[in-house]
Amino acid sequence: MSQRFSLSICFTVIATVMFLATARPAATETLPEISLAVPESTEERAYLGLEKKPGETFSLAEVDADILLIELFSMYCPYCQAEAPRINVLYDLALRQEEHDVDIRLVGLGASNTQFEVDHFRDTYDIAFPLFPDKSMTFYKKLGGEGTPGFLGVLLKEGQDPEIVLRQSGGFDSPEEFLEKLLESAGYK
Amino acid sequence: MKPTAAIVLLTALLAFYPVHDAAAGGPVSRFYDYIYNPGDLKPVDSTLKVRVGDRAPDFTLPAISGKDVTLADFRGNANVVLSFIPAAWTPVCSGQWPGYNIVGDRFRQSDTVLLGISVDNIPTLYAWTEQMGELWFDVLSDFWPHGAVAAQYGVLRSDGTAERALFFIDKEGVITAVEVVDINTRPPLEVIFQELDAFDQK
Repeated sequence: MSQRFSLSICFTVIATVMFLATARPAATETLPEISLAVPESTEERAYLGLEKKPGETFSLAEVDADILLIELFSMYCPYCQAEAPRINVLYDLALRQEEHDVDIRLVGLGASNTQFEVDHFRDTYDIAFPLFPDKSMTFYKKLGGEGTPGFLGVLLKEGQDPEIVLRQSGGFDSPEEFLEKLLESAGYK
Repeated sequence: MKPTAAIVLLTALLAFYPVHDAAAGGPVSRFYDYIYNPGDLKPVDSTLKVRVGDRAPDFTLPAISGKDVTLADFRGNANVVLSFIPAAWTPVCSGQWPGYNIVGDRFRQSDTVLLGISVDNIPTLYAWTEQMGELWFDVLSDFWPHGAVAAQYGVLRSDGTAERALFFIDKEGVITAVEVVDINTRPPLEVIFQELDAFDQK
């Protein structure tokens, strides 16, 4: 009897520890400072909610949105090329989240790409969201990039540090599922 | 089961239990998992044997498509860009030709053929370029006699690999521009577009 009792206590304790370990809140990760040139395009400035002018710089934390999705890509990466049409679908789906009062904005950082290369990528795939060059890969390294394509979902809340809530190395098959994952990670689902 | 044994078993289970989500996300591209990184290399390790204004040395090399490609066959018909890369399955090279794969229209607009050349053998080049998607340009093997064409142009390095180099050759077969870049870096796309513009102005 006493052996059974000990065993059940043991199971209970370990199961509780396992549950608590799994359910414990993950440590928050703040988005590092990423300073970019304000886009020349009026549409892109409006999309990001920027009132600054071209020639000035802005921080990604200033983007006027609830969730910011950063794509790490390269014009030279065949997987990023293959992913581009799916990202465009994701962009449209993300815009439609405004109907549910969730503003999602996308930006792309072209790892090791010049402005010319980023522009060529944009024109080739008709990408509507802002893309920025990261020739020296400074942003890629700051953001802890692990290959391209890669994604970081950032929760933006007024008065709080922008928090990285999602990291993904590699692409996705379904834009719908990826959007769900992003919304869940940010606590909107 | 004795309580002690149960504790040992459960402790072992606990030790291997994932206590938090490891890197949320999908698979990392396998292609890049297989890339061998040789580290930083001597930027340039050869001496050019041709220069702008020279007639481009002729050659015939096997392509991964199975045909033989002869440079002289393009004379009078098309401009040619030779893209020498150091070696298959290395970092910068693996991110160079995939970029050229989305600029085919710009080459065609300037009546220009792109030939990718590597000192690797055909099976290696086949396996490597298959990971890049379907390339619109021919990839040629300068494997045997090893690096003979690279040596002819003066871009064969002392370790048997080639420089990262671009040769622009007009329809007359004359070299109009040469770019031998630091092997550790990729030539910016604008360099190619600039030379294609120059072809257009001839």
